[in-house]
Amino acid sequence: MSEYGKITPAIVAELRLAIGDRNVIYEDKDALDNYACDMAGKIFRHDPEIVVRPENRDQVSAVMRIASKYKIPVTPRGAGSGLAGAAIPIHGGIVLSIEKMNKILEIDPVNRVAVVEPGVVTNDLCKAVVEKGFLYAGYPMSTETSYIGGNVGTNAGGGKVIRYGSTRRHVMGLEVVLPSGAVMELGGKFRKDTWGYSILQLMIGSEGTLGVITKVIVNLEPLPGKTVNLLAAYPTLESLVSTVALVVKSGVKVISCELMDRFSVDVTTKYVGTTLPFQDKTEAYLLIQIEGEGDDELENAYEKVGALCLEQGAFEVFVAESRIDSAMIWNVRQNLAEGMRSFDPYCSLSGDLVAPLSVVPELIRTIARVSEKWNVRTAVLGHIADGNIHPIPIKPDDMTPERWGVYSEEYFEDLIKEAVKLGGLGSGEHGVGFLKLPALLHTKTPEETAIHRAIKLAFDPLEILNPGKLIQEK
Amino acid sequence: MSGLKKIAVLVKQVPATENVKINPETGVMMREGLSVEVNPLDLHAIEEAVRLKEKFPDILVTAVTMGPPSADKAVRYAIAMGCDEGVVLTDRAFAGSDTLATARALSAALKKLGSFDLILSGERATDGETGQVGPSVGSLLGLPVLTYVSKLSVGADKLDIERAVEGGHEKLSSPFPALAVVIKEINSPRLCTLGGKLKGRKSDIKILSFADLDIPKENVGLSGSPTKVVKVRYPQVTRKGKKLSAAEDFDGAVGELLKVLNDNRVEVNA
Repeated sequence: MSEYGKITPAIVAELRLAIGDRNVIYEDKDALDNYACDMAGKIFRHDPEIVVRPENRDQVSAVMRIASKYKIPVTPRGAGSGLAGAAIPIHGGIVLSIEKMNKILEIDPVNRVAVVEPGVVTNDLCKAVVEKGFLYAGYPMSTETSYIGGNVGTNAGGGKVIRYGSTRRHVMGLEVVLPSGAVMELGGKFRKDTWGYSILQLMIGSEGTLGVITKVIVNLEPLPGKTVNLLAAYPTLESLVSTVALVVKSGVKVISCELMDRFSVDVTTKYVGTTLPFQDKTEAYLLIQIEGEGDDELENAYEKVGALCLEQGAFEVFVAESRIDSAMIWNVRQNLAEGMRSFDPYCSLSGDLVAPLSVVPELIRTIARVSEKWNVRTAVLGHIADGNIHPIPIKPDDMTPERWGVYSEEYFEDLIKEAVKLGGLGSGEHGVGFLKLPALLHTKTPEETAIHRAIKLAFDPLEILNPGKLIQEK
Repeated sequence: MSGLKKIAVLVKQVPATENVKINPETGVMMREGLSVEVNPLDLHAIEEAVRLKEKFPDILVTAVTMGPPSADKAVRYAIAMGCDEGVVLTDRAFAGSDTLATARALSAALKKLGSFDLILSGERATDGETGQVGPSVGSLLGLPVLTYVSKLSVGADKLDIERAVEGGHEKLSSPFPALAVVIKEINSPRLCTLGGKLKGRKSDIKILSFADLDIPKENVGLSGSPTKVVKVRYPQVTRKGKKLSAAEDFDGAVGELLKVLNDNRVEVNA
């Protein structure tokens, strides 16, 4: 580990001078407390020495120049909705929150892009562009809280990846402040660029280890046609999984394809105060959103997909067309994480396995086997058509939260090894942070990690930007 | 056993939006380009009818709507939820009907369709928000009208209901036939099954036109509507908001804010 400088009163004064008193939080324990952890959970908390909340790019740049000068570690932070600890200041130092940079700067209909500051809540962006007749296709399940900057930092996925791809596909340009304080413009409103290595793409998913994002240019899609949501109730997880590949290759325009197991649905419906049909005998639900140009295309599409579900053994398929029905079903899906947390505040939401669709049935069996071996009760949900499964293990009653923090990550490490054996990965969309780093390092070759390190040092020779995340420290 | 053999459910197709816009020139609702859905409050009436049918399988449930020919989607939806059949009352002659003219047409249609033991309607439509058509139909047919029904059970020869009143619930009984206006507390409407949707899509929908009804032309349509929309006005926002931005000049913005507060005699303790 590099030796880092500590925040001194002189440095605080310098920061205050650079970005204004109101943008600095120091020695206010309650206020600092809000920046000590993310959605991974309080058991992983680390206190920042100081929090800065710059209002613009120049202030970000000023902060980075001061941090470089004194070699203070800087942890960039979005909404704190991450699940891998990427925004947790494990070395103390400065937390750089982008919360005040939250303006939608431009919606440009001719070039079909929106230009936004990184602290814009993704949902606000989605709503604003719909009013102008466009779709922003990024749809992490935390869409109502997470920031677009955080989505870019983790290459967030979510519920519409099967149709539109991850955040990487939606970002056309970035403005980034480098650790030195220098500003770099990457990409732009243009749609082609063959020159050299794509630093833009390198920046996406870099979890704030290479630069601080200060502006994002995103691609906008035309609004989709009409949509309908199917909810299929299955007697077994196996029969559900066997439907998915058939749905994907059916030619129907599938926007979302989500798995919710009975455990997660039971606790979540209780949490949100609703019930789903067949809940007393269903082992798992498949939620499929389908798009069609007109009523006829849509009806034919959902009949086709619904028939596939029934052929594969679904008890029943329900069709949610209206706003109310659709919202009722999606409300359950969107609240699964919150629902699980209401059931067990220590349940770990960081599980994020990915596998090729063909081995997803085996992956789900593996999750059951490994959970049994570790003696943990685990809910299983996820974006199943992407092969992206989130196992959510519950803390055993007789285990302390501290022990669980270690135990659950060891459990995930075991699970990730098994997923990799199947040809899968240990992280699909949540990012690596520091929580998944030990487990994921085992899955990468020395050559790959060496290149990662070389890239990191090219951007950040002092290793002050989000150290200990995504790649191993020296 | 129940004395209930035939139920009619009144449904309406409404714009699928919470922001209904009125044409300021004509005073008529602008429906063009809006997607449509079954009035959400009518779903509770459909659900209640279907639950009765599940309890007493001999009951025949007919969903009835008045609207453009495309309003068949609303009764198809009702069939998808479990109703047996659907009727659409559609004719140019009905265009522009207000709630009274609509109730005249619907009650004439219900008479024509046969003797219903129970007619169910939703509390009101989310577009017009009047809540008048259901009770008007009952009253034109000379039936007991039970409003704000939050619970409903069927006996051998009577209907027992609870209705929501200010501060509590009132229990009433009524003989058949009757009309009940249900409120959303009464149940949670079900999701349609795929099989139900297929049935709804493939069902033959009965179409009734003005000529099928035994009513004078001056009782329906625009000319049969005593309600005249003279003018539609949107409420004007009278507050004059002013935005002060502290991003460029913090001290200046604070100064200006203090001045505004001072001018409006708001005491500021600095």
